[in-house]
Amino acid sequence: MNGWAGQRLRVDLSSGKITKEPLSYEYRRKWIGGRGFNSDIIYNEVPPNMDPFDPNARVCFGVGPVSGTAAPSTGRVTVTCKSPLTGGFGDSNMGGHWGAELKYAGYDQIVVQGRAKNPVYLWIDDDKVEIRDARHLWGKFPREADQMIKEEVGDEDIHIVLIGPAGENMVRFACTFNDVWRAAGRTGHGGVIGSKNLKGIAVRGSGTVKIANPKAMMDVCNRLRQTFKPDPMKIGLYEFGSLCLINVANRDGWFPWRNFQGGAHPLASNMAGETHAKTVLKHREGCFSCPICCGRFTHIKEGKWAGEEFGGPEYEHAVPTGPRIGIIEDANDIWHNARLTNDYGMDAIETGGVISAAMEWYEKGLITTKETGGLELEWGNAEVVDKLIPMIATRKGFGAILAEGGDRAADKLGLGDKGHYYTITTRGMTLPGDDPRGLGFGYGLSFAMGTRGGCDHLRSLCCLELSGALYPGLNTKILGDERPNKPVTTVGKPYMVFYEENQKATTDCLQVCCFTTHWSYAVLTPDQVEYLNAVTGLDFTEEEFQEIGERVYNLERAYWARQMSGAREDLVPERFTTEPMPQGVDYQTNVGVVFPLSEMLKKYYKYRDYEPGTGFPSERKLKQLGLDYVAKDLAPLRAKYMSEAEKKKKKYYY
Amino acid sequence: MSIMTKAQAKNFAEMDDFMLELCDFLKSKNVIDATTHRSILLKGFSRMVAYLQEKKVISAKEAKEAMEKGFTSLVYALAK
Repeated sequence: MNGWAGQRLRVDLSSGKITKEPLSYEYRRKWIGGRGFNSDIIYNEVPPNMDPFDPNARVCFGVGPVSGTAAPSTGRVTVTCKSPLTGGFGDSNMGGHWGAELKYAGYDQIVVQGRAKNPVYLWIDDDKVEIRDARHLWGKFPREADQMIKEEVGDEDIHIVLIGPAGENMVRFACTFNDVWRAAGRTGHGGVIGSKNLKGIAVRGSGTVKIANPKAMMDVCNRLRQTFKPDPMKIGLYEFGSLCLINVANRDGWFPWRNFQGGAHPLASNMAGETHAKTVLKHREGCFSCPICCGRFTHIKEGKWAGEEFGGPEYEHAVPTGPRIGIIEDANDIWHNARLTNDYGMDAIETGGVISAAMEWYEKGLITTKETGGLELEWGNAEVVDKLIPMIATRKGFGAILAEGGDRAADKLGLGDKGHYYTITTRGMTLPGDDPRGLGFGYGLSFAMGTRGGCDHLRSLCCLELSGALYPGLNTKILGDERPNKPVTTVGKPYMVFYEENQKATTDCLQVCCFTTHWSYAVLTPDQVEYLNAVTGLDFTEEEFQEIGERVYNLERAYWARQMSGAREDLVPERFTTEPMPQGVDYQTNVGVVFPLSEMLKKYYKYRDYEPGTGFPSERKLKQLGLDYVAKDLAPLRAKYMSEAEKKKKKYYY
Repeated sequence: MSIMTKAQAKNFAEMDDFMLELCDFLKSKNVIDATTHRSILLKGFSRMVAYLQEKKVISAKEAKEAMEKGFTSLVYALAK
């Protein structure tokens, strides 16, 4: 078979049963792979009323038909589950090399269900699959467990996905890492994996990927690699990593200072990529077949954290563990906090989010040292944060409350709507380090509409408004208009978000890195279709390709609809729609801006063909996408969502 | 080929987000069918321009200008 391995590996940890399920041509054509395969499993096998930590809940790891090939950046993996943080659909995506290795081992997807009696790890050695004892690994950081498994297996070249102590303790925003430092950060699947007593999955693959048309494949890959060479985003990302965005964020007022109280700070450059490169960068790293190499490896040379080193940080890793919690003077504190979230295995965005919420509750007098167990949660208190991150990961003291995520913590503390105001969440998930009053109104719209919980910069990644101005004519080619390349405008944004969400979903089905297709626009949709067809020997069209993304997006939206989540929850945190952006630096460009969600929402619904009252995908749209069974599921729920009883239930999570 | 009035063109040119309205208009005038309407929304503006040129609704010169200047150029070409 060309491209795909053609099979799914299903592991039941309760019974120990391991099965290999063939993936039919029709199935692969409908979903492509990766996020598509995973979303289909979760929709069909994890019903709305199932607890995410139930042994019968699934967690899926998916790769795509071009995974492991020479196309740019084909090492990515999507991990999907019902999220313990939001209670709704959840997934995350990681780079590294594990995805390619899984493909070489002969699998397009792994589905894990059940719960082992004692901690275990999976060892996949091509077609040999074993469930092995991991009691000696339990409690270890991913970097420790990674080395121990490699010594056990006797091979330094295998690739391993692991959870840290946070996942073992079922922290609701625990995550996974592959190759120690490459994170699938969001939505809490690390806790689901930990609830199954699964420490990780080690893979060795000695196979290959069959290519239908090798010459056509090498032609397109070589052409794309030449396109990357002068690409401005590629150059910036290679030189400075995603921290290259810090100074831009500060200028345009989306740098999240103190839980988004402000959007800029005079000392922001302390943590900029340029500064990082001069002071603590040990080396750069790239993922499988990546021409960009945005990865960093940090070594702290001075101060109280001297000697610490770790893979990273990304922008979205450092900003929540730095300026969002008021830390900016000593960047080494930020790198140290980022290292802690890696070692304990927690989503840095959610960790910073819940700590900053707690700091704002403390600032506003909603909680005191009585609730915090004596911790003085002042902004920028690095000493307290150093204690608090391990406490969250191990569910100790006040950390046990925060381990539940911001909105559940607000409820546990009895803070009411006032407490929820400061959690900065939509559907229970907090915002990444991107203030929509500055980053862009398209991003803000996609924060409200994201299908893995709101506040998600990666559901659309509508960089046509962030980096679009670096590619003259690109906005016109796709949107018919250059005006949307300005961030702080509603012009063209509903269509932009519709287009980018579909495109991003298909990119996730292929399992290629979105930095090659968004941010950098070196690879466009026609290029992706070209290498997909060269690998598979099939005849996907651009329309079919985009339609698959639309199909996946609507399936995920329907998952939320089944949980009674729809139009009423299509919101962004109130801070952005009511508080004008204050001035933080004199060159800031967005002073006074508030985010105008409602101006764009109605138009966006029309593009998506969502019902105006419920926000559910229309029956017509679901049938158009071949999701008749989903239309049937939602039919009795439409009236229920509009009932007075449902309207009275204000839900922050599900 | 003129398929809209200058007043209609001006109305489109002043829109903030024109794509869906323009596709609906072209469909109402039987310039595009439902399949092409969908194809344009999925693929983007370049698909719209390419189709209109292929069907000789606009000339090659007008298509080139539309890709350089954007949708305002296109709608005025449709109103000539």
